[in-house]
Amino acid sequence: MNYKGYTTSDSEEKEEKKEENATTAIQQLGQTNIPQMTQDSNIHCLTIVGQIEGHIQLPPQNKTTKYEHVIPQIVAIEQNPNIEGLLVLLNTVGGDVEAGLAISEMLASLSKPTVSVVLGGGHSIGVPIAVSCDYSFIVETATMTIHPIRLTGLVIGVPQTFEYLDKMQERVVRFVTKHSNISEEKFKELMFSKGNLTRDIGTNVVGLDAVKYGLIDEVGGVSQAMKKLRELIELNKKEEGKMLQ
Amino acid sequence: MILYTTMPQELIFQTTSAEYAKQQLVYYDGIPLLVRETEAKEYEIIRNLSTNPQHFLQAKYSPGMRVLPTTITS
Repeated sequence: MNYKGYTTSDSEEKEEKKEENATTAIQQLGQTNIPQMTQDSNIHCLTIVGQIEGHIQLPPQNKTTKYEHVIPQIVAIEQNPNIEGLLVLLNTVGGDVEAGLAISEMLASLSKPTVSVVLGGGHSIGVPIAVSCDYSFIVETATMTIHPIRLTGLVIGVPQTFEYLDKMQERVVRFVTKHSNISEEKFKELMFSKGNLTRDIGTNVVGLDAVKYGLIDEVGGVSQAMKKLRELIELNKKEEGKMLQ
Repeated sequence: MILYTTMPQELIFQTTSAEYAKQQLVYYDGIPLLVRETEAKEYEIIRNLSTNPQHFLQAKYSPGMRVLPTTITS
């Protein structure tokens, strides 16, 4: 009897706690219940959002992707045998060239299959990140701005500065042309075209056009991307099997 | 001085260094989280930085939830 009494009070307490959790969830998230799953995922997901932060830390109100966070995660994904593929989701305005190229090179050299999806925007330095993956997708409404490298508000004073910027730009152009189907001429044409952006040179490429120019492989969202990633994982497994024999 | 402008404050005035210190990266159950310290000396999750999509399905790692600093592993 005593024991029974104890269990009822215990379950009551649990019930109370559960309710309390639900109220905090409503207060904090505006929703009551999130599906609970414990199994480990063989596909990991990397989100590149906001600005790509470089050597200067941006004020906390900015939403940023920091390379010191992303790069160790890519290393962990490469090392973890349970992870078979990586999905990269992009919605970025661009940012630091060196940091963006660092992330791009890390993704390009990853031995596991990678698929990227451009959602919303994949502007400026987001372009090399999007093309660095094995296969790239863009949703129909997403845009990508292609423009030359610049330093906002600074005047190029000496020829050396200009040459340095030119070399930096060449790195981006070479990376993009190497990892996508776009030709160097076409990419530079888009980069230097006039009349598309307000008071600036460059082109804003929308969904289908990005595929037409060969920059992105296919138009599609998350289901197409996951399907492609699973295909690539299967292919990767088969190749590994061959190598063992 | 009165400054009449439609520009947001953060675009005109430099952020104080104290603002930067408010946010930090911590590991909770091995999951990297971007947190902010609250007045009650708790950490409030701002962003989940994990790449494992399963971690986003658990309510205790979602933004807005509180974490006690004593449970932080590093």
